[in-house]
Amino acid sequence: MTESVLRARGLTRRYGRGSGMVRAVDEVDLSVPAGESLAIMGPSGCGKSTLLHLLGGLQRPTAGRVWLAGRRLDTMSERSLARLRRDSVGFVFQSFHLMDELTAVENVELAALLAGRSPRQARRRAGYLLDRVGLADRADHLPSALSGGQRQRVAVARALSNEPLVVLADEPTGNLDSAATLEILRLFEDLRTEGQTLVVVTHDSRIAAIADRMITMRDGAFADDSRLAVTAPVHGGWR
Amino acid sequence: MAGRLLLVCRLLVRDLRRRPIETILLVVAISAATGTLTLGLALNDVADRPYERTRAATAGPDVVARPHTTGQRALAALAPLTTSAGVTGHSGPYPVAFLVMTAHGRTVHTVVEGRDTAPARVDRPVVTEGTWVRPGGVVVERAFADALGVRAGDEVGVDGRRLRVLGTAVTTARPTYPYAGWIDPDSALVERGGLVWVHRADIATLAGARPLSYTLNLELADPDAGAAFVDSATTLHAGELSTWQGIAEQDGRLVADAREALLVGSWLLAALSIAGVTGVVAGRVVGRRRRVGLLKAVGAGPAMVAVVHLAEYLVIGLAAAGIGLAAGLLAAPALIRPSAGLLGVVDTRPPALSTVVAAVSLAVVIATAATLVPVVRAAFASTIHALADAATPPRRRRWRVRLSRRLPVTLLIGIRVNARRPRRARLVTVNTLITTTVLVAVLMNHAQDEPFDLGYTDLVDPRAERTDQALLVLTVVLGVLALLNAVVTTWTAVLDARRPLAVARTLGATPAQAGLGLGVAQLLPAIPGVAAGIPVGLGLYTIVGPGELRYPPDSWLLATALGVLLVGAALTAVPAMVAARRPVADALGSTPA
Ligand SMILES: Nc1ncnc2c1ncn2[C@@H]1O[C@H](COP(=O)(O)OP(=O)(O)OP(=O)(O)O)[C@@H](O)[C@H]1O
Ligand SMILES: [Mg+2]
Repeated sequence: MTESVLRARGLTRRYGRGSGMVRAVDEVDLSVPAGESLAIMGPSGCGKSTLLHLLGGLQRPTAGRVWLAGRRLDTMSERSLARLRRDSVGFVFQSFHLMDELTAVENVELAALLAGRSPRQARRRAGYLLDRVGLADRADHLPSALSGGQRQRVAVARALSNEPLVVLADEPTGNLDSAATLEILRLFEDLRTEGQTLVVVTHDSRIAAIADRMITMRDGAFADDSRLAVTAPVHGGWR
Repeated sequence: MAGRLLLVCRLLVRDLRRRPIETILLVVAISAATGTLTLGLALNDVADRPYERTRAATAGPDVVARPHTTGQRALAALAPLTTSAGVTGHSGPYPVAFLVMTAHGRTVHTVVEGRDTAPARVDRPVVTEGTWVRPGGVVVERAFADALGVRAGDEVGVDGRRLRVLGTAVTTARPTYPYAGWIDPDSALVERGGLVWVHRADIATLAGARPLSYTLNLELADPDAGAAFVDSATTLHAGELSTWQGIAEQDGRLVADAREALLVGSWLLAALSIAGVTGVVAGRVVGRRRRVGLLKAVGAGPAMVAVVHLAEYLVIGLAAAGIGLAAGLLAAPALIRPSAGLLGVVDTRPPALSTVVAAVSLAVVIATAATLVPVVRAAFASTIHALADAATPPRRRRWRVRLSRRLPVTLLIGIRVNARRPRRARLVTVNTLITTTVLVAVLMNHAQDEPFDLGYTDLVDPRAERTDQALLVLTVVLGVLALLNAVVTTWTAVLDARRPLAVARTLGATPAQAGLGLGVAQLLPAIPGVAAGIPVGLGLYTIVGPGELRYPPDSWLLATALGVLLVGAALTAVPAMVAARRPVADALGSTPA
């Protein structure tokens, strides 16, 4: 088996204290090998987002350990975490989180510029990625001039900007209608085929269906962990 | 590196362009404070330069001697000075009489100096209008002529004798009007007055039975050694010796009060400006939180987040410093109205480096002081929390909420609105406190205004005139800033309270109650500000003002207090009423929960 890109041992995140305490993530063990696409499902409030944030170094665990490419995240300084996020992790959020005042291409090159690439390199890479997500002709549009699906594709392009080790997506289609969902679905499927390590939190079984593996969470812990043998049924249907 | 710089600049430019009104508000607030400081500092500089220019043009003396005695004894006392070590030249002794002059129906103290028609080696007054002295005529010092409104060709009376005004001239051998040094022959006290020159042959007639005084102008080998010379010459008992630096300083006294008022005022304005900037910045923080979260999610470290935010305020601060400097330097010559007693236009270019440094530092301090806390907080905030778009959840002050349950609806709404955002309420307090302080200090200054005794007539005191001008500038700038702050705090209060007010209205409060409630919310924290502003203003004036103080009537103070509150309430009323009249559903829908 290949080396794990992401690994967690006894990962725990609690909110509050005493009787009001919530175990958002409760002693989770996880390992995601390179190139695997993993879908996490479960009822609302079971701790999916929290888990994703812990895995991406956006939040610190109350207990337990996380490794990304063999490096401990839970003990890292804020600065190192920031560097790690821009070099090794790509985030995609439910509500896109694009910068309203930057155009599509500027949003995509944001991460590359932060990582210290030269403006020209960053622009070239952003152009390539926008082309990849099918938005080359919208490069100079502001997010407000894009549809929801288009915004999310810009966000995916941004997440890929620095060739991350892992892409973490939190309900990427949660705010989209079914046509836009299909666009994102196709994009994720391409990523999977290319061997991009992917962790997707979703309520949408179509998204889950394209994954190599699916985890179901309940009350902060894993209730089910299954490897899906079949390729997504949607694949080829609209390709 | 280039990439990050590009990013910082890009975000900066987009942000400034996206919020032009806030940017303008910030620039106005900061440049008001720096402009006033510049004005205060520049006045100092402005006051010195014309003196030096005039001194060069008139071959001004390095030391001037005036014996305490009169007649032959005075001449005898002055004689050894001309041969003292270090003296390279002199003019005089010239006879001097302390008389009164009548011009345009006004009678004023006048120092009359007898001069020759030929120019002297030391102190050659430069004629600015008409001609120099000849028998039967009088030349009036220019600032004095300016105050009296006399010109060449007019007729004046000196101790009852009619003389034609030959011209006006400037000198640096005596301070300009009203500090010419008129000595009361009976009491020997120095009083305020002006200077005129007559022909040496005329002075005995003008003085009549009064004994003549004398004045001697000295030139030293080293013009800067005046103080040492004065020290060494005390043994000669030649009377009072003044160095040119001393005379320049007396000339500068004309603007000393104005300068002090502006300097103290600029600190108050700086505080007001910080309050205003804090208000604007606080209003933007909500929008900023999301951006911080976003930057962090894509991998910006705390330093980068801080730089992105500070850069903007720094640029605004620097722009405001430039504007404030320019405005202050432009206003300075107008305020000093190149003392008519000195030559030349007032030139503040190039500004003193220290003035530039002070103004820029003040602007940067204001910009960063107001933004540092939110920026640092943002840099270390939890990414997730920031991304959730949530503003700091309003704080609930339990006692206030409980207290307000027993109160009328309007008051209840007002107290609850403030309980949600205590920091904004504090800004309102600071704003009214400073406004009241300055107004009370201005009232105090007004109460000190005494008739300016120039012998027999009241003339405008040029020193008080300049102080009044400075205070006027200060009051206007303050008024603009205070209004601006009031509008900003009200408007953010209105935006912030839209939802709770809408909820209150779904529960049955009328639009009028909701609107008034908002008004009350702004008024309540203003009351302690006004109440504290009165003693603070009085105290401040006591510290920096002159020794003996007169206090303005209580009714004025009360009127000021009520005026500040009323203006505040009126400013609040409009946006509050507009907000309160919007349909409830709109308000409920327009802000995220
Ligand atoms: N900042 C917080 N303070 C307290 N409790 C929190 C906080 N954030 C999350 N929780 C709690 O932790 C639990 C897990 O939250 P999380 O957002 O991870 O759920 P989720 O599975 O992503 O839900 P959804 O599908 O609705 O997005 C929830 O019970 C939530 O109430
Ligand atoms: Mg979630």
